[in-house]
Amino acid sequence: MTRLIDLPPAQAQRLAELECPDFATRPWVTGPALPQRRVAIVSSAGLVVRGEDPFRGRDADYRAIPADTQPRDLLLSHISINFDRTGFQEDWNVVFPLDRLNELVADGVIGEVAQTHYSFMGATDPVQMEPHAKGLAGRLKDDRVDTVILPPV
Amino acid sequence: MSALGHYLEEEGLATVAISLIRPQTEKTRPPRALWVPFELGRPFGPPSDPAFQKRVILAALRLVEREDGPVIIEDFPDDDPRARPDPGWRLPFDHAAVANGSAETVAGELETEIELLRGRHDRWVTERGRSTIGLSGLSITDCGRLVAGQVRGAALTSPRDGFSPPLMLRFAVDDLKAYYLEAGAEGIAKPSSRQLGDWFWNATAAGAALHALRAVCLTSSDNRLKLIAGNFIVPAARVLAPG
Repeated sequence: MTRLIDLPPAQAQRLAELECPDFATRPWVTGPALPQRRVAIVSSAGLVVRGEDPFRGRDADYRAIPADTQPRDLLLSHISINFDRTGFQEDWNVVFPLDRLNELVADGVIGEVAQTHYSFMGATDPVQMEPHAKGLAGRLKDDRVDTVILPPV
Repeated sequence: MSALGHYLEEEGLATVAISLIRPQTEKTRPPRALWVPFELGRPFGPPSDPAFQKRVILAALRLVEREDGPVIIEDFPDDDPRARPDPGWRLPFDHAAVANGSAETVAGELETEIELLRGRHDRWVTERGRSTIGLSGLSITDCGRLVAGQVRGAALTSPRDGFSPPLMLRFAVDDLKAYYLEAGAEGIAKPSSRQLGDWFWNATAAGAALHALRAVCLTSSDNRLKLIAGNFIVPAARVLAPG
């Protein structure tokens, strides 16, 4: 129900009017059909593996989440408190659909799942994230990833 | 996040963003996005519904096979069935009257409630195999003590090296909320987030304590603590009107 009419008016207005980057370019990458794709998750939910350094504020860098991370070891350290966390508490796939991706591989719908997934902290100014995102692209390509799904929170 | 789609696609990776706030996505214009009509915090919809979640992720991934971009913004057609309240869910308890008590009463009741919920939370962990508590690194009892101490007017200190006292307080509050909401959802009923939030904020001493904590910290001379108090303890939709 994130139709903005369902939110408190002040929150809806703030979200709708939030300043967003204005990109001059329109990048577009094509590729093979899904069964030949290797897919990674790059979340902006402030996810962090238990025991590692949580996001402390509007950090611009990212955290790595190895594909063998267990649900009990994934924490959500996003700075905002204005979104639901009970879904993630019950089932990590609501935010981080690694089980679903693995099932799609087993079903032959997609080719492979990345060895490592990643998370940014989505309340950060995207302009500050850019150099980190560009660096992350190299890591993803080293992992032979060609397709990235980008869930917010 | 749509901006990440631009950055990664410029580096040669095909991307598809999930969009929860369509106006922002329309402004950012990523290569591809699937807008979903779900609550903030649930980009793949209902918890414990693999079939529904799979439909969402497939609808998104299918966009990378399209050749009619950029820019593609599609809408997912179905609402989250778990957004509906479950009439079978019962409040674990109703301590709404505590909100009118003194700071000492609220703080004391918070510590009592934490123990009251321990059995429910233990069962949650057994049922789910996990808990999302852990940002503070403290036991839930110590999270409660930290919050209760602040409500009582104690000086704020951090028990962990490398974590400032305001950051420690923020993480302890996050852990405390997780403890209550996980304990509240224990059992076979499937409460909506609204049901759980209404219970936590309106009918627990913890909710009353966090309102009190916010008020106390907003009077602090520490600007970092004021910032935490103003933005990261009580959700905007739950802040009480003055008076």
